[in-house]
Amino acid sequence: MFTHNLKYTLKILFKNKILIFWTFAFPIILGTLFNMAFADIEKNEQLNTLDIAIIKTNEFKDSLYETTFKNLSQGDKPMFNIKYTDEQTAIEWLQNKEISGYLIVEEDERIVINQNGIEATILKQVVDEIKQTKKMLQNVPNQSQAKDIYFKVMNNVESPSNIKNITRANLSYTMIEFYTLIAMTCLYGGILGMYVVNQNLANMSSNGKRVSITPIKKIKIILSSVLASYIAQLIGLVLLFLYTVCFLKIDYGDNWLLVFLLSLLGSLAGLTFGIAIAAIFRTNENNKTGIIIAFTMLCCFLSGMMGISMKYIVDKHTPIINKLNPANMITDGFYSLYYYDTLDRFYFNIISLAIFSLIMITISLLSLRRQKYDSI
Amino acid sequence: MIVFKTFLKVLNKCKMPIILYTIILLFFGVFNIKSSDNSTNFVGSKPNVLIVNNDCNEGITSNLIAYIEKNSHLKAIKEDAIDDALFYRDVNYIIYIPYNYRHDFLNNQNPTIEIKRTSDYLASLAELNLERYLKVAAFYKEISNDENKIINLINDTLENETEVTVISKVDIDSLTKVTSYYNFTNYCFLAGCIYIICLVIASFKNEKIVKRTIISSLDYKKHNRYLLFSNSLFAFCLWFMYVIISIILFKQTMFSLYGYLYMINSFVFTSCVLTLAFLIGNLSRNKNAINGIVNVIALGSSFLCGSFVPLDYLPSFVIKLAHFLPSFWYIKTNEFIKTIDTFNLEVVKILVFNLIMTLLFASLFVIITNIISKKRQTIG
Repeated sequence: MFTHNLKYTLKILFKNKILIFWTFAFPIILGTLFNMAFADIEKNEQLNTLDIAIIKTNEFKDSLYETTFKNLSQGDKPMFNIKYTDEQTAIEWLQNKEISGYLIVEEDERIVINQNGIEATILKQVVDEIKQTKKMLQNVPNQSQAKDIYFKVMNNVESPSNIKNITRANLSYTMIEFYTLIAMTCLYGGILGMYVVNQNLANMSSNGKRVSITPIKKIKIILSSVLASYIAQLIGLVLLFLYTVCFLKIDYGDNWLLVFLLSLLGSLAGLTFGIAIAAIFRTNENNKTGIIIAFTMLCCFLSGMMGISMKYIVDKHTPIINKLNPANMITDGFYSLYYYDTLDRFYFNIISLAIFSLIMITISLLSLRRQKYDSI
Repeated sequence: MIVFKTFLKVLNKCKMPIILYTIILLFFGVFNIKSSDNSTNFVGSKPNVLIVNNDCNEGITSNLIAYIEKNSHLKAIKEDAIDDALFYRDVNYIIYIPYNYRHDFLNNQNPTIEIKRTSDYLASLAELNLERYLKVAAFYKEISNDENKIINLINDTLENETEVTVISKVDIDSLTKVTSYYNFTNYCFLAGCIYIICLVIASFKNEKIVKRTIISSLDYKKHNRYLLFSNSLFAFCLWFMYVIISIILFKQTMFSLYGYLYMINSFVFTSCVLTLAFLIGNLSRNKNAINGIVNVIALGSSFLCGSFVPLDYLPSFVIKLAHFLPSFWYIKTNEFIKTIDTFNLEVVKILVFNLIMTLLFASLFVIITNIISKKRQTIG
């Protein structure tokens, strides 16, 4: 009976278009959207060539400013794209946002910008540095040695021996979006769980009425139905993994065994959550689906789906919320595999998911056991 | 009136999911706002820097920390949270000052400073500051061995800064916050309106009710018009709630011309969303499919049109694609309002063009709805 019900529940699940959409199609659609939206985000954060203007003045000609800006506007990826002009034209360009700012070197140096921002700050930093270099050279008591000291120091400080970069390699924060996608898929598995339980509840469906009067142990029917929905959910998850790894090139870390373990437990958490919703709420299937989707979206929002920094903000200011948030347990599990060398944080999330699933199962059992109906 | 009364009855019947959904969306909108400082004078962008000082806080070490503090937002983060802070860009640059740094520097041992950094421009800025300090310090170390003299010379040199004039009088930081809020409402309006309106219309699409409506004397266009106006009640209530929240959060900006423009733009967009929701409600006959449609359209438009990811960061092919979605024109207008310096004819032209584009989408949705309704007049 167990295998019979398992086989037919699987058939029913795969023939339900709405369930197929949520389990298979929606995560892939969303993953594609993520990939389109985040394709350039980290590239655009890097410093691009700045368009600036320099006013031609006698003080600028043959000065340290001219040499420095000339050097900074050369090469494969120059810092500045410089236009030399008069002040009136520069103001026009600035107002039309053709340049980020312009520089006038007269008795003193002056920068004019349209508005604050990183581009204006970079321009100011460069001009400050030239001004400070001039000051440094002036402060040397023996002026004939000033330039020698300067070049000696410059070569030393810019060498890697003075500043050593020890940043970890995996710093791509857009990965979080794709991890929340996996979390969302796991939690949407709850719709499958809810559906199969509804099919076995006498007060929810005609099928449930027939099941409840059959002389078969209810636990056998429910377990086989739940197992079928778990299998369907895992098939959806495998397809999503294949899509994200092969087409979107998402990095889940090197330990695939742990990725598999996390996915199994994440799916179980989603499934048991759906079963609990089906068992607790005495409302129609549509409302139950609405509750599962609203809860899932809220959890995914808090774990960074609609803005990556949200996960960090919640983790930092109200960590308890994300400690209880199943979507964050899954997202954080993948994040710890990707970013950290140690597994303490990963196992904390694994245990949290197991506890969450256990609580959901207990709630469902308490609610589902020994149900009797005088009339329906 | 009969249509409107029925609409209110259906709305009342669906009040639980409506309240739940609206509260969640309001929560999303409010929670998403980020804070920053306001200014119309030059304020240099400052990276977030964390200093882990393993040396004594004296002499040249203390002076280095003071300089970094002056040129960055110095962060205090627990040791076990440092790596998370770097990953999520809460910190752009981490400087590890080694043990005995001061001693090694003064004894010409050329100490190494370890750093961790993100790959963005704020980290480059922090690195520029650190390198500059190290250069200046190393330079003065070559001409003097007296620590106090070196520190005085360093500070005297680094105090030399260039005068910066800002010509725009727009408070860009305040406007950025309001723009970010209204851009996010794109998702809230789409998800809220489509979900609720489709839910209500689905009740009107019950086969028996449809048959009764078809044989009644009420013209399908009139019926659609009544239904659309009834639904507008909910849509504009939702719009009003978001406007009220924006007024509470950004009182000063919202009672300026900029604020009125944001309100007008969001009102026009809400009208467009209303017609889109009405079209989807008429297209879809399955109540169970509503959730799927809501999520695909609301999340899809938000990701592709710059609601969640700034327009500047989107790839060019995505921006080209986004031109075919009303959300793009709504968000583009919000972004444009932020950059307005003076209100002239050119500015008005751009604003009107964008608003007309949104309204054109609305008209298109109404026309398609009527065509579909006409085709569905015959059953069986």
